[in-house]
Amino acid sequence: MRQILASLWFALHSAGQNFRRNLGVSLAGVFTMGLIIFLVGGSLLFTHSVDTVLQGQEQNASHLKIYLSDNASLASITNFESRLKHDPRVISVTFETKDQAKQQASQNQSISNALAVLGSNPLPASLNLNVRKLTDLSQFNAEAKATPIVDSTTPTDYNSDVISKLNTVITVIQWVGAIIAVILLTISIVIIMNTIRTAVYSRRTEIEIMKLVGATDWFVRWPFILEGMLGGLLAAIFSGAVVFGAYRLFVQAAQGNLLSVPFDTRYTITLLIVLLVGGVAVGAFGSFLGVRRFLSA
Amino acid sequence: MSVAVAERSAAPPQHALRPVISFHGVSKVYPNGTEALRDVDLAIHQGDFCFLVGPSGAGKSTLVRLLIRDEAPSTGRIFIDGQEVSRMSHRKLPKLRRKFGIVFQDYKLLTRRTVAQNVAFALQVTRPGQRHMREKVEEVLWIVGLEDKLDKFPDELSGGEQQRVAIARALVHRPRIFLADEPTGNLDPDTSWGIVQLLLQINHRGTTVMMATHNREVVDLVRRRVIAIDNGRVVRDEAEGSYLREGTATL
Repeated sequence: MRQILASLWFALHSAGQNFRRNLGVSLAGVFTMGLIIFLVGGSLLFTHSVDTVLQGQEQNASHLKIYLSDNASLASITNFESRLKHDPRVISVTFETKDQAKQQASQNQSISNALAVLGSNPLPASLNLNVRKLTDLSQFNAEAKATPIVDSTTPTDYNSDVISKLNTVITVIQWVGAIIAVILLTISIVIIMNTIRTAVYSRRTEIEIMKLVGATDWFVRWPFILEGMLGGLLAAIFSGAVVFGAYRLFVQAAQGNLLSVPFDTRYTITLLIVLLVGGVAVGAFGSFLGVRRFLSA
Repeated sequence: MSVAVAERSAAPPQHALRPVISFHGVSKVYPNGTEALRDVDLAIHQGDFCFLVGPSGAGKSTLVRLLIRDEAPSTGRIFIDGQEVSRMSHRKLPKLRRKFGIVFQDYKLLTRRTVAQNVAFALQVTRPGQRHMREKVEEVLWIVGLEDKLDKFPDELSGGEQQRVAIARALVHRPRIFLADEPTGNLDPDTSWGIVQLLLQINHRGTTVMMATHNREVVDLVRRRVIAIDNGRVVRDEAEGSYLREGTATL
């Protein structure tokens, strides 16, 4: 017990001592790690925000209005509606009458005025479809066109252009996010390994003596691993704070301008924990790799 | 005859049983093809004091590195204390190395630690939490004659004093075998003589001492066992030898 405590104290003491004595190299390491953690955290949060916005758009986009011809019989409409309701790709179907359509449209003042001038109601009744997958919309659009009770001039409000673009954007964003994360992770491990190798190199005499007098490999390794963990922790705390601040500013700016990006508290907390644990783990792993070469003999 | 030899003859059974260091047909060929040692057979007993002599590149340092298993032999077997080290696993090396105290020509001191801290370092990393560490460090520094330099830094000491610190560090864990690889290589004759006296004193306390050296003067003055190595081979092994073969100009 006494021995374990003494070993622990030695490892902690020399980790701290080494960190202070090689402050320049240590800070350079912390800075690089911090920068990478910031980039990883930032890109994760950015991808998540874009994803949230796009998912909102997708939710809207997965609605399809099928306009019904004015002379369609109620029986044929009910028949069509129940066929759609039993389709597994469909979440819900609601029937909107001509009157309801008029009421909806009248919320816009200019349309309301136009309708008043017109006297009659030109708006068609519709079946409002909510589907599970965005990609299914084109099939429903085609199906609607082939159905006789559907208005032949404007069968649906399907806009293939917008939807396919949205689909492409979502896929591209996800891929770019994944590729950036992989590149950053690889770079970070290489940089940390080399930073720690520099730190280890400056202590090669100490390691040589430790091996010479018969210290075990783990005894030599621990101070460096603790030092790496300390560096990783500091880097994660600083960059985590910066990422958090930047995210808040971004959300505020976005809300003030074009889009409503929600501030996702749960995601942010999870991300900050992941960054802390990840920083400590990458620091420890980088040190392990960095010190390995000096222990091989 | 010296005191150490008298002590040895007082304990013949141990002497006859097994040597503390033995080499059996040991050769070492480096990956680049250099043949550093060829078919070496050696036996060194507890309490021996021996010089390892020979020109640079003869194989002295390779022999030392094989002893502490910094290198493994290409062929042959090496035993330390009855334990075969030539095929020893990496995991067992720390325990093997604790049997040795080693000093080099370049002292290998930690410049940012004081004399006492340098010596204590050897105990901290091998026996963390050991009691009475301070007393042990002071005792060993008294043996090497540096009891008044405890809080000095290596840069404030002379070369001879620095080598004494290295010797104290190698002694503090009470090794069975003391290895000195060219310990006087950087020192003037007077200081060198002081270091050799210290090694003899250590041997007198019962520790086996092996000193690799070029220092002809020292070897000729001390007249102890001499193992001469040339071109990777043991060319001479005399109980009370000189640096060169008696009456010749060769090893």
